[in-house]
Amino acid sequence: MPPDRDEWSRAYAKQSRSDFAIYRLLAAKGQVAACHPLHYLQMACEKIAKAYRFRDTATLDKRLTTEHVAFSQFIMSFLSSAAIKQRYRGRDEQLRQIRKTARALAREIERLAPAVDPETSPSNAEYPWEQGGRVITPCEFDFSNLSLLRAPGGRTLLRLIELAIVDFDEIRIH
Amino acid sequence: MSDKDEVARRLIDWHFRIEPELQVIYRIVSPNEDATEEPIKLLEVSGATVETGRVEPFAFGPAGDISYPSVIAEISPAEMERVRQGGLALPAGWSLERAQEHVRPKSADAA
Repeated sequence: MPPDRDEWSRAYAKQSRSDFAIYRLLAAKGQVAACHPLHYLQMACEKIAKAYRFRDTATLDKRLTTEHVAFSQFIMSFLSSAAIKQRYRGRDEQLRQIRKTARALAREIERLAPAVDPETSPSNAEYPWEQGGRVITPCEFDFSNLSLLRAPGGRTLLRLIELAIVDFDEIRIH
Repeated sequence: MSDKDEVARRLIDWHFRIEPELQVIYRIVSPNEDATEEPIKLLEVSGATVETGRVEPFAFGPAGDISYPSVIAEISPAEMERVRQGGLALPAGWSLERAQEHVRPKSADAA
């Protein structure tokens, strides 16, 4: 009998947790090129999104195992979940602001996967790309579009990702 | 003021400027704070953050004019209250005893 969606879901959640731990280790190291922690962050985000979608949605298995675009959709669903609604009770304006920041940063995180948007946004955390007649190497690129992760709004997004990973068994998105 | 203090001040000022919901920042000062490898440690109290019931620090390497590593934990005002009452633990090695309190300056909200 093939593994069921619940088994896939738990496996993705577990791998996401491990990827996120490596992101945190690498992000703390000053000597590591920015692409490496960001690569792990992108993988952690993609996998936790898939973990929730395997468990809480009817999205086809094949789509979930093959596509890289999952996180930006997921984070908006997560921010609309009962668990987040309860945490932001009486703070609608703050939640609105977080949704705005999270949407923008989540899209940038998603684009770190080379397959997501190679035509309009070729920069990615893994493979060299061409830009203006030059070949750009990820380990020499500063990914300034994601520097906001260091700022308070970015850290709230990191905290949300951490919450989604750690409290996976308690939180539902649908 | 040491170079690290100046960098910490710059980081704190920037965070207040870009996050209107940031109320107070505590700079956690370790006994070995003067060591270069010891990161700048900030506990930030923000009205905009999500409450998770944990104080989870995120570490960042030096970048640009922030020439020291930093470790930053963000919590809500309600979580800060729980920290004060002993119901929520700070990260290992962090203490409010020697922490420097930076209250949101009025100038941070100037247009």
